[in-house]
Amino acid sequence: MTKRYVLVHDENKCIGCQACNVACRSENNVPESVTRIQVRIEGPYGNFPNLHFKYNRVSCEQCEDAPCVKVCPTGAAYVNDDGIVSINEKKCVGCLYCIAACPYKVRFINPETRVPDKCDFCKESRLARGEDPACVAVCPTQALAFGDANDLTSEVSQLLDSKNHYQHKVNLGTKPRVYRIPSRKGGIKV
Amino acid sequence: MNNIWGSMEQYDPVVWNWIIAVYLFMAGLSAGSMMVAIGLKWYRQSRGLPTEGLPVIKAAAVVGPISICVGMALLMLDLTKPFEFYHILLNYNFTSVMAWGVLALLFYIPLVFVFSGLIFEKQLLKYAPWLSGVVNICRKLENSLNKLIFVLAIGVGIYTGFLLSALISYPILNTAVLPALFLASALSVGSAGNVLVATLFFSKKESDCIEQVHRIEYPVAFNEALCLVLLFVGLNFSGPAAQAATAAITTGTWASVFWIGVVGLGLVVPVLASTISPKSWRHTKGFLVTVSCSTILGVLALRHFVVYAGQSYIS
Repeated sequence: MTKRYVLVHDENKCIGCQACNVACRSENNVPESVTRIQVRIEGPYGNFPNLHFKYNRVSCEQCEDAPCVKVCPTGAAYVNDDGIVSINEKKCVGCLYCIAACPYKVRFINPETRVPDKCDFCKESRLARGEDPACVAVCPTQALAFGDANDLTSEVSQLLDSKNHYQHKVNLGTKPRVYRIPSRKGGIKV
Repeated sequence: MNNIWGSMEQYDPVVWNWIIAVYLFMAGLSAGSMMVAIGLKWYRQSRGLPTEGLPVIKAAAVVGPISICVGMALLMLDLTKPFEFYHILLNYNFTSVMAWGVLALLFYIPLVFVFSGLIFEKQLLKYAPWLSGVVNICRKLENSLNKLIFVLAIGVGIYTGFLLSALISYPILNTAVLPALFLASALSVGSAGNVLVATLFFSKKESDCIEQVHRIEYPVAFNEALCLVLLFVGLNFSGPAAQAATAAITTGTWASVFWIGVVGLGLVVPVLASTISPKSWRHTKGFLVTVSCSTILGVLALRHFVVYAGQSYIS
């Protein structure tokens, strides 16, 4: 059966510490001026004393129907056999069409290669060795889970089967593979 | 702001800048000037009138190739890897509007040069007599080539619109009205560009062909205005994110660009100029130059407005 890698971010367990952000930078040699993943701390929501912040992971959503791949004129942006949205640096001319097309704005030009860059679930390094992506491995509160959603015994399948979850901008039909378990705490934006 | 999660600079929704706006303008100018010139040629041929040496057609033979070349140069320089642009000519992904655009331009650009070569045949053969064989072959195919150029020019005009419509998360851009708007404004900037160059460099006397070009300006201006109305009324009915994007014409710098540039210079000035100005003015050089410059600036403003305001509102 084909792989369907997904990432689950549990917003109840996340504390916004940015360990994932730093681990990613170190694992993938991301230049200082740009970022593949950040956890934005948004809020506060609710009213005193029921205040809380929301943790919003911003990284490539590995869309199953990826706008960046559709608009790329040369086919430099492509979906790999493993479902991971990838970039063929040799074919890319740097037209920025994919960056403009991405609804999540998670693609950026790497100042060293002059080519778009983004999260690839560490597929060249850690995933190739059978390890979890750096952000998942480093997370101190185990807020991140990564795995194959086609494997019903995997941690991600069981999480998604048993917990309420949501995805970003589903209305655009991109079918993102980053799933989020919403915070149990209520409250509307103050 | 100094967030603990790092710089937000790379997340700016405005990805394409003024270089792309000017390219879209240049592509529209070239395509419009070709459509107007070839259309005028057909109009006169159908009435048995001569088409040789018409100032407007000569002007198109200058405007068409120069503007598309300037546009392509800008486009290439805007790539992050300008010297590897040839990859875009070798690899085609046909789900991408840009790939279709490249294909259309690949045929359009050489044919525009052929068009110019045939218009300025005498001058061309004076400097390059060895081209006479090629010129003769093209002359025999002229009617078919003109049809092909006309179709490709429509393609170039429309593709620049669909290029932006494909960006699904920008409500102002992600509409089917945009290609129609770009085609209508390409026609108006093409006729204005032709009239401007014809008046400045080729016109010897008050020429009836300028009058004929003027005649298409009303329907074109009407269509352009209609597309703008449809665009913003449509946004208003397309959900909260799209509704929020209608603020583009009420607040901020781009609202001023819209009302002063797009509506004022691009639509109101030309329409008023040809309806309420005294008859004696209408064929003076100064009048034609002023009105066509106003239209050109209006369309340039439109392209900037669409590129910047379009990308500023994200759903």
